Amino acid sequence: MEVTDKKITDVNKNIKRKSQLYKDEQKAAIAFIIIPVIGFIVFSMIPFFISLYASFTDWNGIGQMNFIGLANYKSLFKDEYFWKTLYNTFYLMLGIPIGLMISFLLASALSRRIVGKTIFRVIYYIPVVSSLAAISILWQWAYNGDFGLVNQVLDIFGIQGPNWLQNVNTVKPAIIIMAVWKGVGYSMLLYLAAIQSVPRTFYEAAELDGANAFQRFRFITWPMVKPITFFLIVTNIIGGSQVFTEVNIMTPTGGPQYSSATVVWYLWRQAFNNWKMGYASAISVVLGLIIFIITALQFYMNRRSNYKLD
Amino acid sequence: MMNRKRFFSATLTIASILTLAACGGANSSTSDSTGADGEEGKTLTFMFRGGEDEKKAYETAIAAYEAENPGVQVEIISTDADQYATKLQASIAGNDIPDVFYVGQGDVMAYVDNGILMDLTEAVENSDFDLDNVWKYGVDSYRYDGNNIGSGNIYGLPKDVGPFALGYNKTMFEEMGIPLPDIDVPYTWDEFVDVGLQLTADTDGDGEVDQWANGFNVAWSLQAFVWSNGADFLNEDNTKVTIDTPEFAEALQYFADLQNVHNLTPSIAQAQTLDTYQRWMNGEIGFFPVGPWDMSTYEGLDFEYDLIPWPAGSTGESASFVGSLGIAVSEGTEYKDEAVELAMYLSTSEEGQQQLVDAQIQIPNLIDMAEEWASDTESVPSNKKEFLDVVGVYGRGLPAATTYTSEWYDEFFINIQPVLDGDQTAADYLKSVQPKMQELLDASIMQHEQAAN
Repeated sequence: MEVTDKKITDVNKNIKRKSQLYKDEQKAAIAFIIIPVIGFIVFSMIPFFISLYASFTDWNGIGQMNFIGLANYKSLFKDEYFWKTLYNTFYLMLGIPIGLMISFLLASALSRRIVGKTIFRVIYYIPVVSSLAAISILWQWAYNGDFGLVNQVLDIFGIQGPNWLQNVNTVKPAIIIMAVWKGVGYSMLLYLAAIQSVPRTFYEAAELDGANAFQRFRFITWPMVKPITFFLIVTNIIGGSQVFTEVNIMTPTGGPQYSSATVVWYLWRQAFNNWKMGYASAISVVLGLIIFIITALQFYMNRRSNYKLD
Repeated sequence: MMNRKRFFSATLTIASILTLAACGGANSSTSDSTGADGEEGKTLTFMFRGGEDEKKAYETAIAAYEAENPGVQVEIISTDADQYATKLQASIAGNDIPDVFYVGQGDVMAYVDNGILMDLTEAVENSDFDLDNVWKYGVDSYRYDGNNIGSGNIYGLPKDVGPFALGYNKTMFEEMGIPLPDIDVPYTWDEFVDVGLQLTADTDGDGEVDQWANGFNVAWSLQAFVWSNGADFLNEDNTKVTIDTPEFAEALQYFADLQNVHNLTPSIAQAQTLDTYQRWMNGEIGFFPVGPWDMSTYEGLDFEYDLIPWPAGSTGESASFVGSLGIAVSEGTEYKDEAVELAMYLSTSEEGQQQLVDAQIQIPNLIDMAEEWASDTESVPSNKKEFLDVVGVYGRGLPAATTYTSEWYDEFFINIQPVLDGDQTAADYLKSVQPKMQELLDASIMQHEQAAN
């Protein structure tokens, strides 16, 4: 009893009197944090509010802003190209589940002991770190209808490949394929780390209980990597709704009949081609709201399935 | 130990800040200064876009300018073509406008209304060069009176005029034994199809057609057919979209039929003519548009080409478009006189023009120089005079060059593919797209009026 009392009073003393070390570390911490926070405020928050204000004006990008109320938003809802590009953007997000499935399979394969594991990881990760613009140009050439690589390969199998980027039906799948190819390494690496962090004891226990490989996967591996899946889905949806570079390089005019134009590409056109910066700001505000709502929904849905590890 | 920790953390912070700042700096565009930093002299910034040849030619021209004007240094900022508009707008918003810069024809109205461009009329009139010796189309493209392009004060000087002429593969004609086209008399549309049918053939007997008459891109070649048939995109005062006329439908249908009915173009149904451009360079296409900027690329071709007038529709006369890019001076420039000097030098000085013509980038802006250049019929293309005819005689500006924005014009080409594929008649398409284009044109006119206030 004596020992415990003494410990408690010692601890109390330590809590009441904050040590100099604690204060110094606080100061250092604030110094480190303040720089990105200032960066965020100056480069993200303030421009966001300026853009929000601009969406209620008729700003043309270089002149002055005149307040016009909700006119931009009204014309936005009537604009058929806005809805078309929104549809295109969400269509392109079909690549997200495909990419996740492929990368999960790859990660499962690579988590076993196979020869050349590291080499495979490098090969799959190189597209991720490559410049998006360079890859878009490469794929644009590969998709060329007459002599592109993709059609040449299809030719070997006797399939006459379409003119990928010029055909209304194939341009979006073409972009999806390219985006999946580029992003699979990143998801794969995350999944690899998650799969390898599942304690082996779980699998051993399951085996003892008579679970087969599929049951082990379904009840142990998949739930354990759920946090990664959640993270990837959220970030991919946020990123996928802002696709611009690939579209601008591979289909500079928005694709055949605007079938590959995304919302961000459309608003860039309006802002810089048609002198309608106010209208473009309105589009971006609406897009931001949509992304926010979707993300909030996802977080809410995820709260109900939380796996706590002790 | 405390001091060392603080020292290290401080060093780390400073090092990371410096690295990030350096990374940020390196991302900006390539900019070189010709000559030493002008501490005593004046430095002008000149922003432009162009390929390697153009960049070299301009560097040489500017070096000559600096030699003539000691005390003035010019800093060249070269940008990629597709980033130019964005970059220029960003620099305007950031109040860091270059002193002298390229301005597109279609952007003049917006820039002048917002007070970006300097009025050059006085400076030009007081200078000692003859405005009549510069192509009228080039000068007028940068005149603006507050309402319309084409008259009023001068807000820019032409960097070049770009006539879009029709070229043909002379070697192919000779090999097929077809009489060469007349360089003065244009084909009629029927004659054009007939010649095309003779050209489109299987030359190596393997059962597949490997040579075609043409491969036009609708965005750049339709105008020639529309105008020479008496139709147009806009009415006289640029307020009404006039594409739903029978003459226009006839021209568009003729254009689409070249591929679908007569099979005169490569049959990859949806191929835009990026591919036909490669085929032309390979010698597989008979007729293809040629602009002055192509001459340097085409020097390496292994066939001889020449220029002819575009086929004429019901008016009996050829038509084509002339583009132009301008050089403007910013209103807020520090060194007004020197900047205007530089702009005039780049646009109209004989030495500068000679550099650019020698690099085969453009035709001379000065009429007498151009005529001298065209009198050389020895080098390919022999009929250089065709370029001059397009600029001076039968060429017109693109429809969107004189409207405030080009949105109404872009709309025309977004959904045109079904017509070109033969899935929709030209008349139906024109009837359905005219109201949309009119709406956009009206919106653009309203934008213009609001901006002018």
